[in-house]
Amino acid sequence: MDINSRPVVVKRMPERLNGRTAREFLRDVQPFLHADRPQLVFDLSQVVQLDAAGVEMLLRCMSEAHKRDGDVKLASLSEQAAVVLELTRTERLFEIYETSTDAARSFSGFLPNAMRQQLLHNKRPAAPLAA
Amino acid sequence: MDIRGLLLVNSGSIREDDLAFLASGPLGLLEIAGKSPLERMAERLQQYGIAPLTAIVETSSLSMANSFTASLGLNCITSTADRFWRTAESAFNDMAQSGAELVVLVRLGAYAEIDFEKLVQFHLDRGSRVSQAGHEGRKLDVFCISASRRNDAASLFRSQLSRCRSECPLVEDTGYMNPLAAARDLRQFAIDILTRQTQTCPAGEEIRPGIWMSRQAIIEKGARVLAPAFVGAYARIRTGAVVTRCASIEHHAQVDCGSVVENSSVLPYCYVGAGLDLAHSVAGMRQIANLRRDVTVEIPDPKLIDLISVTSGKGFLSSAAEFLTYLPRVAVQGIFAGGKRQQPDLNAALRRTSPSLGGAAGYETSACDSEATQKFPNMIVARRYGHQ
Repeated sequence: MDINSRPVVVKRMPERLNGRTAREFLRDVQPFLHADRPQLVFDLSQVVQLDAAGVEMLLRCMSEAHKRDGDVKLASLSEQAAVVLELTRTERLFEIYETSTDAARSFSGFLPNAMRQQLLHNKRPAAPLAA
Repeated sequence: MDIRGLLLVNSGSIREDDLAFLASGPLGLLEIAGKSPLERMAERLQQYGIAPLTAIVETSSLSMANSFTASLGLNCITSTADRFWRTAESAFNDMAQSGAELVVLVRLGAYAEIDFEKLVQFHLDRGSRVSQAGHEGRKLDVFCISASRRNDAASLFRSQLSRCRSECPLVEDTGYMNPLAAARDLRQFAIDILTRQTQTCPAGEEIRPGIWMSRQAIIEKGARVLAPAFVGAYARIRTGAVVTRCASIEHHAQVDCGSVVENSSVLPYCYVGAGLDLAHSVAGMRQIANLRRDVTVEIPDPKLIDLISVTSGKGFLSSAAEFLTYLPRVAVQGIFAGGKRQQPDLNAALRRTSPSLGGAAGYETSACDSEATQKFPNMIVARRYGHQ
């Protein structure tokens, strides 16, 4: 089994995510997004204000990561961020975790569904023999 | 018997933590399913033959108060917050001087469907100076006061209805009651009105079973309104929008193209941007109170939630511009359109992210194209949290 050893980048998002701060943030994470199969976790615990530009930036990051066979996951969503993501129908596009650690761990624990089922099938104990 | 009504509307009872967006005026004046609690209470008092009615309203909402005066035949007196109780007391004294025998005093706050006949009968039978209505052991700000007992009334007003100098027996009422103290209550009130748990009805005409629509409301072609729902006066539901599950769109509110309003109240003059999912919330004054998360969030982005200008000038100009450009636009569309435009599929529309998101708009939810979607073709949203 191939164990994932690529680094996971965890970035904390700014308190207010509007057009200007979103651009700055995107500039910061751009090098990580352009890596091969990027693995990013955005920590939204400090976000108190998120507008359309902020959500757009999140989607752009995810889109960039997908292009390079990577992924962007969200963690520790503040209530404000969660409400705006729900409102804009974007919360369903991301994997969302309670903590950044959980999100980072999820990258290494990733298994395609087919493999997971196969693994479960192999692990299942044999049925007891009829007496 | 001369029984008169005195209605008090101030913002003293509003919880400030989650109702910051309602701080612009007392909750008693905020329209819910087309009418304010003040209007509903005034109608109820009139049904019981309690008239004439006087309402004392805090000053910040002068324009709203004036509109009620015209529509309900209320004598509306406005007052500043610091003089509110003094004004109420003098209004009571005026009633007593002009020949009233009993005064029914209601403070909004809570909306209660009181049996006023029972309250008055109880008051007369007991021969008490002041009687108070209660609901499930909780005291309501609803009193029946003998007009000749001015000192008792004065003590009541000076203590802001918290105590009376004489004995004040409680009349238990089993009718509908909503405390109207938080956004959750506001939403529940709309649900109760639309599902007919209350005796009061939504304003406007019931155009289909469970769907109420007030005058001049516009539901554009391609928009869906599913019962029970309410669309207030001059409200606009644009193409592709869905209004469902006891949603209440108040007057002059707008739901833009492709948005879904589910189990939510959209307050007067609120604009809900295109392609949004507003669920389990109360939206207005550029804020959303999400009831499931129990949080109020400020939305600074006018593309998502905005406040439509209350002044008519801007609205008139935009309407005029729309009117002037309508014919050329239709002509151009007619020339270049290939054939009849197809109605967008609801599932497909809901999969896409909001057009308000600029460059990232229209991003399709990959999770919806999962195995589960093939098994359950009616499923619209498949959320994925982690690998669950």
